[in-house]
Amino acid sequence: MATLDSTQALAGATVPTARTRLDLSTPVMVLFTAALCVLIVLPLGWLLVFAFRDQAGRATLANFQRLLTDPTFVEPLLTTFTIAGSVSLACGAIAAPMAWLVARSDMPARNAVRIIVTASFVTPPFLGAIAWELLAAPNSGLLNQAWRAVTGAPSEEALFDIYTLTGLIFVVCCYTFPYVFVLVANALERVPGDLEDAAAMLGSSRWRTARRITIPLALPALLAGLLVAFLQAMTLFGSPAILALPAGFHTITTKIWSLFQYPPKPELAAAASLPLLVLTVVLLRAQSAILGRRSFAVVGGKGAAPRLVGLGALRWPALALCLALLCLPVFLPYGALVNAAFSKVPSQLLTLDRFTLRNFVFVFSEVSATKLAMKNTFLLGAMAATAGALMALVIAYLTSRAAGRGHRVLGFLAMAPIAVPGIVLGVGLFLAYTRPPFVLYGTLWILLLAYITIELPAAYQQMQSAFHSVHHELEEAGRIFGATRLRVLKDVTGPLLRSSLVATWCFVFVAVVRELSAAVILFTSQTKVLSVLIFDLKESGDLAAIAVLGLSMLVLTALVIVAANSLLGGGSAARLRNN
Amino acid sequence: MADLALEGLTKTYGANRAVDDVSLRVDHGLLASLLGPSGCGKTTTLRLIAGFIEPSAGKIRVGDNVVSAPGRVLAPERRNMSMIFQSYALWPHMTVAENVAYGLTLRKLGRVETAKKVADILTTTRLSPLADRYPAELSGGQQQRVALARALVVEPETLLLDEPLSNLDANLREEMRFEVRRLHDAYRYTTVYVTHDQSEAMTTSDLVAVMNGGRVEQLGNPREVYDRPVSEFVARFLGGSNILKGTARDAAHVEIAGTVVKGDGAPLTTGTPAAISIRQHEIALDPAGAAPKAGVNNLPGKVVRNVFLGPQRDYVIALPDATQLRVTAAPDIDLAPGFDVTLRLPEARCRLLSR
Repeated sequence: MATLDSTQALAGATVPTARTRLDLSTPVMVLFTAALCVLIVLPLGWLLVFAFRDQAGRATLANFQRLLTDPTFVEPLLTTFTIAGSVSLACGAIAAPMAWLVARSDMPARNAVRIIVTASFVTPPFLGAIAWELLAAPNSGLLNQAWRAVTGAPSEEALFDIYTLTGLIFVVCCYTFPYVFVLVANALERVPGDLEDAAAMLGSSRWRTARRITIPLALPALLAGLLVAFLQAMTLFGSPAILALPAGFHTITTKIWSLFQYPPKPELAAAASLPLLVLTVVLLRAQSAILGRRSFAVVGGKGAAPRLVGLGALRWPALALCLALLCLPVFLPYGALVNAAFSKVPSQLLTLDRFTLRNFVFVFSEVSATKLAMKNTFLLGAMAATAGALMALVIAYLTSRAAGRGHRVLGFLAMAPIAVPGIVLGVGLFLAYTRPPFVLYGTLWILLLAYITIELPAAYQQMQSAFHSVHHELEEAGRIFGATRLRVLKDVTGPLLRSSLVATWCFVFVAVVRELSAAVILFTSQTKVLSVLIFDLKESGDLAAIAVLGLSMLVLTALVIVAANSLLGGGSAARLRNN
Repeated sequence: MADLALEGLTKTYGANRAVDDVSLRVDHGLLASLLGPSGCGKTTTLRLIAGFIEPSAGKIRVGDNVVSAPGRVLAPERRNMSMIFQSYALWPHMTVAENVAYGLTLRKLGRVETAKKVADILTTTRLSPLADRYPAELSGGQQQRVALARALVVEPETLLLDEPLSNLDANLREEMRFEVRRLHDAYRYTTVYVTHDQSEAMTTSDLVAVMNGGRVEQLGNPREVYDRPVSEFVARFLGGSNILKGTARDAAHVEIAGTVVKGDGAPLTTGTPAAISIRQHEIALDPAGAAPKAGVNNLPGKVVRNVFLGPQRDYVIALPDATQLRVTAAPDIDLAPGFDVTLRLPEARCRLLSR
């Protein structure tokens, strides 16, 4: 056998660093696979177990029977579908034309519009819902007051009532349409200009080209966007909890939450979580099937830059329309929050003699929970972001640099939590970690686990695409010129990935700070976070304090991100193009 | 002395044998090229030599040391090799000078010596004015030269090149081809050059290994490989050849379309399918009346197409069994389509192919 004499030759020659690759990556891979199994399989496993047993612990189908027959469960289910369906359609109707205007027309200030839409992603949906309470609550809402002042209508009449199904759908739309917008705008930008030039050469008018070529090519992205919007609306907890409960109806997420109020019924909560889980999996599969076929729109994307359609006299009206629409998710709500934060009476318009800083003093010195919640939130945010980004880095490294069967399992596990809505994961974690071997309920650890699990898929996707943008030959070049694996990581891969890593860190941090649906199931009085505190304050009706907390939370988040970028982010990001 | 030897080198991916029992010896200071179409295993072979992948069987020796064997792979960084990648793999976050100096830094050379060597190689490769640029700010040819400078400055025992010219335009490619050979002659390391371009292989190499389906189909100096292809694949891949198929009459004769052709090469087995290859310009073309009668090595044919190219004419001739072959003739031999001709195939130019 050839191995024998080669061994002898090696013994007499240079000392081999044999099998470094296997020695390092296999145990790491096994470790991470095991860790992901615990993170995902354990909570979901308990969820399944609980869904099929009664309070005495016997196997039963009664939970599901109740879910499908008891009107207090059937109605929230139907409401949820009504909301998700309406939101999805409305988002499509608003976001698609807007995306086209931004991506393919010569509307003025297109980039500003795009930035504002993207920025509205940052608004936590529960904060947006509270802002809309300030604006459109039937009595105290600023818009209703303004309407009464203008028309002289009697004080019991209101133009808007946010505490209705329609009101809820509207608010959910405000914070869901950016998903559709971003998907469609990106797809429209990728339609290569030469396809349209070809149509133009054949005598097709610009409008006709847009209608017959551009829009059909972007249609799959729109469909995918509609599915995402449906999914978001279906699994959302914050907005329904704030608007539907006062209005006296439930969605499935608020129903699950209410099952954790005293006396807790975890079996029913688990059973009610399963339809959400199954539907999410189905919708995500549908989405990836649709987007998978989209590739035909991207092929040949190297061609001419996209051609812009001239709007002529309609340019400015188009911009006015976009800005008017952006009032709803951005300008009006933030105006209302700032107004409430600095005003003596949150429901009255801010004037010089109503101006006060008392709300800030109150929140930061008198609300006992503020400091703790701030500390918890930023500690958890930093820990989850660090752990999540590092895990994503290692997993992406393994899956993109050492292809193999085991690595595919790892990649799948890292992506799996994307199919688990926050509130479902919250229920699962509650069930899994209130019992041995891991009793974590009541500690920050359970929240940390929840955050890492929820954000891992997005972090992993970002790091994986970062690895794909670093050609493997760049690392191999380092090796062949004499650098060890670690040295290459330090000198080549690290610097090239640094800005992506910082971006991923920031992404997870922001997502953690605004997360409510899992936290609301898992918090205890000592492990309260800001989002839960805001939700609690809402129940006591202190809107000024909420406005102060919400705005502070956003400002502090922004400061952390700026700090992270200036400390860690390479200033030479522009040079990192790898051509 | 760093002679490079591959011994029965094999790399399998599942059932796919990407590299199949490749044996090859490159003496120190020679330039060997691995030539073949995409997917023939040449790049995998190169990456095996570099130590990026582990062989499934066989071994690689440098001098007396086995550097690769199944389960025993010396890390790439310990092979004193250097490589030019198809993508150039210039580190985008380092300037030209930093890219070039990196390998020297790892070898712990002093700052003064590093600076001197970097300056020297940048001068040699005419890159001095670009030392502080980033790779993204260079043209393709300049990037290629940076890759060359970075690979040469570490004075490797072995230099590996993975289709280094394939991203360049035609003029630059021709220029860089001679540059590669000039630098090789100046520094005298052992070089392995992977390419799919036969003229690149011909002009640069001392030794050519034509690869197909993971195997070395033929190994020899450029002249041998060009003049004496051992297989239909090699004859076709090197271009300009007609392949005439028939049956072996005995060790040196093949019957093609009813005519016996005597050829040169490894003896054939009587009665088996065989072929001969002959280049377009090696066939003499005569009008049927003026030529010797059809007989051994004289094939009857009919003109199908006649294209005037200036210095020569390009003919397509059909044999009685409808096989078409291309013949290059003098420009004043002007025969209309349909004309009967006789093709004379010089015995020494007819390469016998048993596969």
